[in-house]
Amino acid sequence: MTGAPPDTQAKGIGARLARKEDARFLSGRGEFVADIRRPGMLDVAFVRAPVAHARIVDIEKPEGWESLVYTMADMAEVKPIVAASKLPGFQKSEQYPLAKDKVRFVGEMVAMCVAPSRARAEDLAEQVFVDYEDLPVVSDMHAAANGTAEGKLHEHWDSNVFLETQVDNKAGIADDVVSVRRQLSTSRQCQVPLEGRGVVCWWDHRLNRLEMTSAAQMPHINRTGLAECLGLDEGQVRVVSPDVGGGFGYKGILLPEEICCAWLAMKLDRPIRWIEDRNEHLSANANCREHAYDISVHVERSGRLAGIDCDAIVDSGAYSSYPFSACLEAAQIGSILPGPYKMDSYSCHTRSAATNKPPILPYRGVARTGVCFALEVMLDIAARELGIEPFELRERSLVGPDDMPYTNITNKLFDSGDYIACMHRAVEALDWSGWRARQAETNGRKRIGLGLATFCEQGAHGTSVYHGWGIPMVPGYEQCNARVTTDGILELQIGAHSHGQSMETTMAQVANTVLGIDPEQVRIMHGDTGGSPYSTGTWGSRNAVMSGGAVAAACEKLADRVRRLASHLMDVAADDLIFENGGVVSGDRSRSMTLADIAHTWYRAPQLLPDDVDPAGLGLVAGYKMRPDMGTFSYATHACAVEVDTVTGAVKLLDYAICEDGGVLLNPMVVEGQLLGGLAQGIGTALYEEIPFDDEAQPLASTLADYMVPGAAEMPHLTIEHMETPSPFSTFGQKGIGEGGAIAPPAAITNAVNDALGGLGAEIHSVPISPERVIAALEAAHESD
Amino acid sequence: MSAHLEFPESHTVTFRLHVNGEEREVSAEPRTHLADVLREHCGLTATHLGCEQGVCGACTVEIDGVPQRSCLQSATRFEGREIRTLEAFENDPLGAALRRAFSEEHALQCGYCTPGMLITARDIVQRLPQADEARIREELAGNLCRCTGYRGIVRAIQRVLETYPHESSDGR
Ligand code: FES
Ligand code: FES
Repeated sequence: MTGAPPDTQAKGIGARLARKEDARFLSGRGEFVADIRRPGMLDVAFVRAPVAHARIVDIEKPEGWESLVYTMADMAEVKPIVAASKLPGFQKSEQYPLAKDKVRFVGEMVAMCVAPSRARAEDLAEQVFVDYEDLPVVSDMHAAANGTAEGKLHEHWDSNVFLETQVDNKAGIADDVVSVRRQLSTSRQCQVPLEGRGVVCWWDHRLNRLEMTSAAQMPHINRTGLAECLGLDEGQVRVVSPDVGGGFGYKGILLPEEICCAWLAMKLDRPIRWIEDRNEHLSANANCREHAYDISVHVERSGRLAGIDCDAIVDSGAYSSYPFSACLEAAQIGSILPGPYKMDSYSCHTRSAATNKPPILPYRGVARTGVCFALEVMLDIAARELGIEPFELRERSLVGPDDMPYTNITNKLFDSGDYIACMHRAVEALDWSGWRARQAETNGRKRIGLGLATFCEQGAHGTSVYHGWGIPMVPGYEQCNARVTTDGILELQIGAHSHGQSMETTMAQVANTVLGIDPEQVRIMHGDTGGSPYSTGTWGSRNAVMSGGAVAAACEKLADRVRRLASHLMDVAADDLIFENGGVVSGDRSRSMTLADIAHTWYRAPQLLPDDVDPAGLGLVAGYKMRPDMGTFSYATHACAVEVDTVTGAVKLLDYAICEDGGVLLNPMVVEGQLLGGLAQGIGTALYEEIPFDDEAQPLASTLADYMVPGAAEMPHLTIEHMETPSPFSTFGQKGIGEGGAIAPPAAITNAVNDALGGLGAEIHSVPISPERVIAALEAAHESD
Repeated sequence: MSAHLEFPESHTVTFRLHVNGEEREVSAEPRTHLADVLREHCGLTATHLGCEQGVCGACTVEIDGVPQRSCLQSATRFEGREIRTLEAFENDPLGAALRRAFSEEHALQCGYCTPGMLITARDIVQRLPQADEARIREELAGNLCRCTGYRGIVRAIQRVLETYPHESSDGR
């Protein structure tokens, strides 16, 4: 083979190791939820509301087939989903798995129909007649937040706001600052993992428990929520998440469909399956990202950022989703808007507005994509006002390398890094000055623009970050069950789930680093509440740090056990033993034993073991928590050049550069993969993806033909630069970085477009930057002339 | 005891399909699209569904040697055609070269788009030996991937284009 990496032996952390999970997917042998069959299995289809806000007057089941159709009245013992936050003033919503009394968004489930195939279940669903009495629809988050909407989502509330928060760190700033104020917004979007959600569940009579296979990122959390709603002990529920076709946040939610299917499987004592179709996914379920900002930034003449004032509203939709709650986005805006900058003064008011739209759910980057857009777009507008380059303003305002570790204005503890150097590397990688020269030559119909965006990304949030928030989930110690099998294979069970993140590979690399074992000899088992330790699962860029820490801790403990056994069997002092090549060697290299030999002795030749051997043997559980547990802060700068056609409004990405720092990388190939995938999603957010809603809150994009996801041809030429500043707080210095790629593109691309349009006095304030928005901005500039 | 349930009657037809070199007799409702017949009736689950509307390409199979969506037409319309799904390419040297290149270039993450991508990639390599990066990207327009950002997929195809059939003899 040509082009092999220089050190083909390296398989531990830092190696570009090819993935252990690839073989099964490449041969079509992955096992996704829709691939699972059970004898006697039935399919369900749901009757979904065609209107956004209405009282249910009557539901008429098809005559003669009443026993195949279920409504909430049939499921009286099932409790609603309640995801409350303990933050003061939070108003709770109750989401019944099938709507009770009234529907609150288009697509909300009203009845469930069962048949031997999905098509036949849909036939039944078409024959269910629901009589609705229309209620005034709340479709605009501003009206909801300001109390001017006619309708009311939840009768017992005193407004249409889940939660209002206020951060006030205002301080005096100089009089001669340049202040700029704008209204900015991001559109409602959809996560679109290529596989949707899906459930196959049945009652297991041997173990007397519900077996649920679900495309899920956080199987333990789903189990907790399911048990609560169904009135079962958690021990009576097992959730298995098999191969999952992408998640991006959407699969970190307890779905009403899961509760319905579980209830029906118990009711009928038959395996029940529901596989989400793309229409359900786009129009009823997978909604995210709709933010609105009224933001002012204050910058000193020198270019130094002095302060930010912001009023933000998030359109949280109709219900609070389990477990992250309806204030996931808005409350975070308050704490993360200051980004990687130093400033003297900061205030932020947020509201999570309730509207007649599907609940807003997490999507890669969560609130960060919105805040990065809001702040970075404002900084470039300010830089333009001051007549300086965007990087000049930032180099005077970013937290510097000598400030680290740094506690920012909202009390976030940044761990490490050189944000300024990172930014300059991205600027150079793009050839900023070269593009400026080309820009100067193009002043006609097609205009060139340059933009950049910088952010830092908190990942692996710990207990102290979450407990104060008071949602149904607080991450604690991440644990790993480890054991060596009779033939020397290392089995590791983790509670997180990998659905594209390559953890079967990277966790084996961690084991290799600690125990010297070949990753091929390591079996990672994840996504099964039946065996793995409890975990809050996969979210918040946490698993390189948290699962990686847990696997390392377990392997280290196992190393102690192995060392003691080997010391006896080899007659070598325990501290003179080195782990390498799947075994232990004495320091003078005269004696060695493989892990398989040691395991064989433990399991099958115990007569050779000393009397005082540790009876716990070769299996254990270990746990890990970061200290301090604020989390890691990876960071990056994205820079890009665009061409804007001022006649058609089309935006073309000419070039793109990213410099990022994820601390010590477990596998650089995997990190780049995460970055690239995130970038594609970020480009979608910036330029293409939007679910518009009309005044009656009807979704206007419900297929992939009208909701446009970037394809191969939409991706620009890209340069990636890595920096590797270790985090002082994690096991190997690694940082969470899985979401970063999706955070900065909307900001960087909007800045570039605004740079291109600057000479024409036009400015973009909303993403996606569709041709219509560009034309509208140009027309607005023309009119104000 | 499982509940005894009766369902509204359904009308099925019986027809024969030639799938991966085997003759299959299938009884299904005439409205059943090919992908559902392959997955539900033939047990061939490598073919995935992402939209059932002809946009995402996850369901791409080969019909008489040409890639085609399997979610758009009734399975009955494929009688007499030669259908090949990803499962058929297990021992195919070009399939093996593509699998190796996909892994080396990190062209897959969750693996859900992968079967459709491989069928399309195989077609690109055979039909367009001179394809450059831009052409490969254009040819991939009908296959969506939400995980990889496409770079690995494009590079894997480029790599096979550069080395195939050169390397094909060394098997997997
Ligand atoms: S499932 Fe056939 S194209 Fe998407
Ligand atoms: S690898 Fe997940 S959709 Fe392509």
